[in-house]
Amino acid sequence: MSLKTQRMVVFGLITAGVLLAVFFGIRAAFAFREFRRHGAPPFSPLEAKNHQPAETDVELIREWMTIPYVAQMYQVPPKVLFEALGLPPSKSIGEKSLKQLNDEYFPQAEGLVVTTVKAAILEFQAQTFPAPTPPPHPTNIPAP
Amino acid sequence: MSDFLLTQIINYGAPVLGMLVFIGALGAPLPGTLLIVAAGAFARQGLLAWHTTGLMALAFVVLGDNLSYGMGHFAREPVLRRFQSSQNWTKAESTFARWGGMAVFWTRFLITGVAVPVNLIAGTSGFGIRRFFFYDLAGEAIWIFGYGGLGYLFGMQWEVVSEFLGNVSGLALGLVLLGLGVWLGIRQWQVVEARKANVPEG
Repeated sequence: MSLKTQRMVVFGLITAGVLLAVFFGIRAAFAFREFRRHGAPPFSPLEAKNHQPAETDVELIREWMTIPYVAQMYQVPPKVLFEALGLPPSKSIGEKSLKQLNDEYFPQAEGLVVTTVKAAILEFQAQTFPAPTPPPHPTNIPAP
Repeated sequence: MSDFLLTQIINYGAPVLGMLVFIGALGAPLPGTLLIVAAGAFARQGLLAWHTTGLMALAFVVLGDNLSYGMGHFAREPVLRRFQSSQNWTKAESTFARWGGMAVFWTRFLITGVAVPVNLIAGTSGFGIRRFFFYDLAGEAIWIFGYGGLGYLFGMQWEVVSEFLGNVSGLALGLVLLGLGVWLGIRQWQVVEARKANVPEG
């Protein structure tokens, strides 16, 4: 290998290395900030007994998820979600992602399936797990 | 692509994950780390059994790595015919014999983008199969159970972990290339200086 080629290899390696390190370094720093901001969710006592607590944040629903998967995560009967979408509960439909269902059954309305599923979950959870009543104000507690 | 693969994992479970990491180990550009972190989260959600899924994925990925090592091994003869007399090849072989174990280990989970080329080089350069297997198994166990464990820990928020690990991997690759470039540059400079010193004056 001539000296000129060797110099080009060295230059190429250093340039590629600097570009990759800067690009991914910045992205990693931002990702780390998110990583720290979220933190690992605590394990609930229910999980120790192999009983998964219901997820309540519907913003975590993604287009790759399927109806049975979402139903399990949010502890909503799959029937409720199928009904909300006006689709018959079947194994083949259940294996399709929310995006596939949207493309197949509601091609005119982008994102409709995810929005409908979110609304159905919120409605079901509001009925099934009503929000806890706030504790009484200390001044209103009757003296023993 | 990632979305499609995630849907298949929640539908068909550990065998699909095993198949995907196997294909990835043979060189297909699949988002392996993302799938492993997601599988950890699915295990926490009770969708996958962490022990069987982890062991199955480990077995498949090690099998894939060893197959790609084998491909390099079978390419050894023609490569040797072409480069055997080259001094650079001999140097490269001895360098890999010395540092190959570390290269195999770190490319399993940190610099995953160059894992397949390292497998091929290991096979071609005559790096021992037992040593390769040992470092490969150790590195892949960290990838599967370490990264999968982070997914398990973060549950539904696994995407944050995956994003972070993917970027750290890119950063590590950049730093390795930079280090290699600087090292080669210094060596080159030393050779040039030595040549200059040997040239008689006048």
